Amino acid sequence: MAKEKITVDFRFRDKLNKVQGGKHHNYCYQCSACVAVCPAARFTEDFNPRVILLKALLGMEEALTGEDSPIWLCTNCYSCYERCPQDVRPIEVIIALKNMAVERQKAPASLAKLSENIAQTGVSVTITSAVNRRRQELGLPPLRTIPIADLKKILEDPQGTPEDSE
Amino acid sequence: MKVIPFWGCMMPLKYPQMELAIRKTLPNLGVELVDIDGFTCCPDPIYFKARDKIKWLTIAARNLAIAEETGLEVITMCSGCISTLKEAKYTLDEDPQTKEEVNRRLKRVNKEYKGTAKISHAVVLIRDTLGLDVVKKSIKQPLDGVTVAIHYGCHILKPSQIMHVDDADYPSILDDFVAAIGATPLDHREKLLCCGKGCMDEDLPLEMTETIFASIEASGADCMGLVCPTCFSSFDLGQIMISRKKGKTYNIPVIYLFQLLGLAQGLEPEEVGLHTHRIKADRVLEKIKESARK
Repeated sequence: MAKEKITVDFRFRDKLNKVQGGKHHNYCYQCSACVAVCPAARFTEDFNPRVILLKALLGMEEALTGEDSPIWLCTNCYSCYERCPQDVRPIEVIIALKNMAVERQKAPASLAKLSENIAQTGVSVTITSAVNRRRQELGLPPLRTIPIADLKKILEDPQGTPEDSE
Repeated sequence: MKVIPFWGCMMPLKYPQMELAIRKTLPNLGVELVDIDGFTCCPDPIYFKARDKIKWLTIAARNLAIAEETGLEVITMCSGCISTLKEAKYTLDEDPQTKEEVNRRLKRVNKEYKGTAKISHAVVLIRDTLGLDVVKKSIKQPLDGVTVAIHYGCHILKPSQIMHVDDADYPSILDDFVAAIGATPLDHREKLLCCGKGCMDEDLPLEMTETIFASIEASGADCMGLVCPTCFSSFDLGQIMISRKKGKTYNIPVIYLFQLLGLAQGLEPEEVGLHTHRIKADRVLEKIKESARK
């Protein structure tokens, strides 16, 4: 049987190294400890943190940060971080890959919906009149004002591109 | 003692009954909550972090900088908030380059992250600073015979090198808290399984929550007890979803542990907002009434 030719895309790995948390992918020695404790892997064969790390080591950009990437199935439970003997912090590598997918505009549409509220209003849940009414009914103090102007200033990108025009 | 509450979003906006339970119960433990202005969303450790980790760290660092300025201990009542704030602190303290980048952004609003804030989850403050005896002394109505299947949730425990709360595989902090309240913590097979909420899939989270319900049902517990509002949504509303989608009804009341503490301190169910839950806690309340009659 002819040997399969394996190529590694180091350009992608360099990019991953520069994203916060991405660098630790280099330490993975494929032991599978993360798989044994991963709840997503327990419930679906479509998600396997060891395979995600292997693909990162091979530099498989499209498989990891493209539209059909399995990274979004991660439950964010931190079990892999807890267990990994190499301090790979697989969940943080997956977060770095998610950041890269967002940059490529390949993230699921629901992500923007779930995170945009914070960028625009400073809270993750929309404040409606029903929210205020329920608080009043329970005898809770009125909500404090959210410093939105300050929040927008710190989120602005260095070139002066505001977050909301991304 | 005076502490600054960091309420986050889920509690004040989605589950205000949890904020109510905290406001009613902590003063009975000698804790004075000093509300301050300035905090925003922590921000959430799943979606906003996936969008842009540097901006996620920046918002968290701004909250931490405000916490630093107070000079007081800041407590969170939400597992998501404690996860974000502790991980952000850990990351900024170990990665000076990222800290510098974040502080460049904070400078625009005259803030600086230094790394001096003390942030804890309320249950950790109770265990480590106040002591569980203070909880025991505040009890007026021991919850004799009430069995509680604890769901730890992931974020208060893991990664333990950052959270510094407990052994992530054999935790006891919430069991000990429930025992101090006078109820009986009950072990069940899937006590440490993730609720699945952070998984961006339609079916997987439901399968995970259903696995946990089956495990609790087998344990025979009167209710489920937890400290995470995100897990709460998986389990309270989640049970309605499961009966709708899978035709199986569990009817397991889901109780935030500070609501349980409130009941044990002699508060009425409405005073800790139990009436707002989808799954009614009737069987727990009946047992409490029974034990009060004895």
